[in-house]
Amino acid sequence: MAGQSDPHVSLFSAEEVEFIAEDEMVEIVPNMTIERLNFISGDFGPFLPLTVNQVPLWLAVALKKRGKCAIRPPHWMSVENLTKVLEEERDSQGAFQALPFHYVEISRLLFDHAREDIPDIYLVRSLIEDIRDVRLHKVETSLEKFSGTSAVKIPNLSAMEVNIIRPFVGRALQAFYKHDNPEKIPDIDRVSSGQSRVANSEPPRRPLRR
Amino acid sequence: MKIRSVKLREAHKAANGGTSSFCSILWDLQALHLVTASSSDSSIAIHDPLLPSSPPRILRHHRDGVTALALSSNSTCLASGSIDHSVKLYRFPGGEFQTNVTRFTLPIRAVAFNKSGSMLAAAGDDEGIKLINTIDGSIARVLKGHKGPVTGVAFDPNGEYLASIDSIGTVIYWELQSGRTLFTLKGIAPNTGSDTSIMNVMSWSPDGETLAVPGLKNDVVMYDRDTAEKVFSLRGDHVQPICFMSWSPNGKYMATSSLDKQVLIWDVDRRQDIDRQKFDDRICCMAWKPIDNALAVIDDMGKYGVWESIVPSSMKSPTEDIPNLRSKNSNGLLLFDEDEQEASMSGSLSDLGEDSHGESEPPCRKRLRKQSVFDEYQDEDLHDDLNLLPKAEPEKKTYRVHKENSRKAKDGQRSMISTSRPKMQEAFQPGSTPLQHGRRCFLCYNMLGSITTIKQEDYSHIEIDFHDTSRGPRVPPMTDHYGFTVASLNENGCVFANSCKGDKNMSTLMYRPFGSWAINSEWYMRFEGEEVKVVALGTPWVAAVTSLNFVRIFTEGGLQKHILSLGGPVVTAAGFKDELAVVTHVSDCLPSNEQMLEFRVFKISNGTQPFRGRLPLTPGSHLTWFGFSEEGQLSSYDSKGVLRVFTCQYGGSWLPLFSASKEKKSDENYWVVGLNSSKLFCIVCKNPDTCPQVLPKPVLTLLNLSFPLASSDLGEAALENEFLMNNMHLSQIQEKVEAMISKGLDATLLDDEAFDIEAAQDRCILRLIASCCNGDKLVTATELVKLLSVEKSVKGAIQLATALKLPSLAERFNSILEERLHNKTDQARDISLPSSKYDLSAKADVAFSKYLTASGRSEVLDTTIRTSSVRLSAPLFTKKAKLSEEDKLGKQKADQNQTAHMEDNKEAKNSDLKNAGQVNSLRDVKKTHNQNLSDPFSKASNNHEEGKKVAEVPQVRSQRPSDPFLKTSSNQEEVKKVGEVTGAQSQRPANPFLKSTIK
Repeated sequence: MAGQSDPHVSLFSAEEVEFIAEDEMVEIVPNMTIERLNFISGDFGPFLPLTVNQVPLWLAVALKKRGKCAIRPPHWMSVENLTKVLEEERDSQGAFQALPFHYVEISRLLFDHAREDIPDIYLVRSLIEDIRDVRLHKVETSLEKFSGTSAVKIPNLSAMEVNIIRPFVGRALQAFYKHDNPEKIPDIDRVSSGQSRVANSEPPRRPLRR
Repeated sequence: MKIRSVKLREAHKAANGGTSSFCSILWDLQALHLVTASSSDSSIAIHDPLLPSSPPRILRHHRDGVTALALSSNSTCLASGSIDHSVKLYRFPGGEFQTNVTRFTLPIRAVAFNKSGSMLAAAGDDEGIKLINTIDGSIARVLKGHKGPVTGVAFDPNGEYLASIDSIGTVIYWELQSGRTLFTLKGIAPNTGSDTSIMNVMSWSPDGETLAVPGLKNDVVMYDRDTAEKVFSLRGDHVQPICFMSWSPNGKYMATSSLDKQVLIWDVDRRQDIDRQKFDDRICCMAWKPIDNALAVIDDMGKYGVWESIVPSSMKSPTEDIPNLRSKNSNGLLLFDEDEQEASMSGSLSDLGEDSHGESEPPCRKRLRKQSVFDEYQDEDLHDDLNLLPKAEPEKKTYRVHKENSRKAKDGQRSMISTSRPKMQEAFQPGSTPLQHGRRCFLCYNMLGSITTIKQEDYSHIEIDFHDTSRGPRVPPMTDHYGFTVASLNENGCVFANSCKGDKNMSTLMYRPFGSWAINSEWYMRFEGEEVKVVALGTPWVAAVTSLNFVRIFTEGGLQKHILSLGGPVVTAAGFKDELAVVTHVSDCLPSNEQMLEFRVFKISNGTQPFRGRLPLTPGSHLTWFGFSEEGQLSSYDSKGVLRVFTCQYGGSWLPLFSASKEKKSDENYWVVGLNSSKLFCIVCKNPDTCPQVLPKPVLTLLNLSFPLASSDLGEAALENEFLMNNMHLSQIQEKVEAMISKGLDATLLDDEAFDIEAAQDRCILRLIASCCNGDKLVTATELVKLLSVEKSVKGAIQLATALKLPSLAERFNSILEERLHNKTDQARDISLPSSKYDLSAKADVAFSKYLTASGRSEVLDTTIRTSSVRLSAPLFTKKAKLSEEDKLGKQKADQNQTAHMEDNKEAKNSDLKNAGQVNSLRDVKKTHNQNLSDPFSKASNNHEEGKKVAEVPQVRSQRPSDPFLKTSSNQEEVKKVGEVTGAQSQRPANPFLKSTIK
């Protein structure tokens, strides 16, 4: 990735992760008739007023900014579901609850651009923030615990969380590896950058949409 | 005598120290679930009676013991009351928590739903019984009068009264409409004192005629519904006061439980007990299984069980002849004052109970007294048992034989209500939802926009919104002092009308244009002694149908243009452009509850009535939506979910084009908004709602139209449906083309459309043929081949048959093709029949003749294919277009050329399929029409040079069906290309497919 920020802090900046998340599909309800839209990423529409259409988030936001549609909040963004997730997140210490890979970015974008389309926005917002905090805390505590492995498996970790811990985990794992097999890697500093890339690819990354 | 014992299993932990607690148990409507609760446990358990060992679903929302449970009569909503002072609603059977309906200051002891589930009564240690609207949680009424804690409430099944009982033994009858006390019966039930584990209960018989109350002499006393006089009592072997009783679903039996730990089953008519069982602990709640001969019981230790086959098989089943009280409102069109109209639980669902202490005793169960044998019943019982199951299920759909309710008549239930009693349905405005006080509702909702209204103190607030905010005009909201009840909207304006309330209020019609050059262009009409029932809008007219059965037609400017008298009371009306369609009653509805409706279509501009006829409805249903499709096809939708579209075929008939029952989602209702030629636009409402709320803004759902096909051996329902659909569209277009041509308009656009449909139809037919061949339905396949519109497709079919190793079928197809070509040439000769199709083929034949002179064999084939492709491009139905001069020239030559053409065809046939060139051309035909089929011919040799050349031209042609622009120009090209041998080849580079196929 060309315009990428300092790889030692994190692989992508938050904005970059958000940009990737904009390819997620959301449901919109247009309020006017719009002909089929042809984009490099595909064709969307035609749109009829008051019918539900699936479009990528970036298009939804663009249409929303022009006042041409309402965005339907995704199902997982209901107060009910979020309350449940938060509860379970708090209950289970080890595991993470299944949330969309880009839940932080999607909710952020929707809070910024489609405030009026989300019922109980304050509640939803605080719930998501709580969930995020709980999960981050959990990530941190679980990171404290891991030792002596060369790979970590954390299911249901979201993009933003992966992005935050990736540099640290990568380097930490590498350090473990180095200490375990001192003869194999004679000079870590020389190969550091190349190695860190290899390690970086370990946490599950979804292939980018083209 | 068989000794049976009811096994009880623990549902709720008993209170600490084994003290008894009041427990409740309920069945749902289908007997699929058992719901239990205990006053010592904060959770509610939903058990599956079929899998008693599987863990129940637990609802933990209360903070303290649950004292009362109630289930709405359609089993979609569960209510619970608790010691924690709250009443909560859940979805059922899912158990999702919905809302805290209300809170009290003291523990709740009793909750009950009315019949429609719209009203919940809750009571407890507080003073006053709260009647709560379940929809919005508003408190409709608080009934005060009891001196002690209320332990039982029950809505009368007929919806007029509420009965309540308190712990000191007082029973009060309340009139629901006024909230007044009708009767107060003091001290008729035992005083249970302060022990909250014993609760006085009472229960209405399922027919609502009697109220059962535990008496002071260890008996059950029946009180009359209207006079509250003691009718009779059931007195027997109970040695302690009755603490719970439950009517069997049909009201013939009653189960009573007493503090002496016995449960007795009574034959109510004979006033005798027929069975009994002694339990370890006191049974504090019982519920009859709604569709079976069983009783669920729960004791005060939280253990529950099901007592199977409780009524001897020699006697009538407890679920037989259930009184038909239900579902006056099953269509969901709620009456305005539903709290007065329907109420109650079915007898078995009484959820209240009372309780007493009981020490554990060894389980002993025996029939203490045996009744004389009911031999005389045996025969009829056997017979009745056969009917039992089907009866129990559709019972909720049957309509009550309506007892004329004088009060209701007085209330003047006006338009928009279609009651489902065998009664003529009321007038309604398509796309409106019933008016509810204090809530916004739709006066009109169509494909264009919506008109909503909300009633304020003495005026209404009306808003007009267009779905497409970019197109419709912005209409400011308006204040309505008239109280408009019907409205209609189109792109030019909106019309409103109100119904007369009382004598002094006149019915008024108002029209408001959206765009007008003049100020104050809205106008009013007042009607004295006449009430506007339905309004409709078109361009440029406004129509109002009134209670005097007049259709009044006004111009857009407010000129009274026509007044027509209708043959019957109006049901509904709809307008589209120039057409006004009105539905009226023909006669009173049949005893089988079939509405007798008639529709008529008026053409306003020329004052004609092109169609008139009976409006078909599904038996037992009523009309719920009526209107025009986007294309102007008259359509109707009935309460059983069948959409019908009017067609001119068969002298004007209605085609059933959609059926909600086929959509397989039984928990959804479709509220129709409109339709176009292939989709139905509707708002999906989750049961039990049948109409949408204004907020949150409803979203349209598109459903595919489909014919209610019988399931055939072929098993290709989707294809068969497509086939029928295409046929219908073709006939519709044909109609339109004829209309256009008769007006002298250019119909080429429609021709193109027809061509596309024909191409799609051929594709569909070929697929059908393939599946017919695979399923050995050779006769059907032959019939289908005859329906193909293009020769190329027929050739494709032949190819298909050969590939599937059905030579006899291929032979038959061949003869069909031959016959078809033969007919064609015959017709082409007949010059007196001018037809564009033949003109074009003739034209092509001119080209052919020139080819013939100029070049060799390959070109000959080339032209043959061109000929057929020309036919492809021309819509098959005849078009009375004027002949251009060159056409005429062509036609003069046609005669001689046709003979040559025919020879060529014969030649082609003689050489049959062995000709590699033809194989290739056919292969290409198949590619165009049948790309989805696996093509066994792709391996056919195409190394033949001649073959390749031939193949190229159809390739160029085959592009056409997918490219409408090319096609329009191609006809001209055709003319140009006459004699131009390289014409087709010049297109070659533009064809991306070509390269790949040649390679």
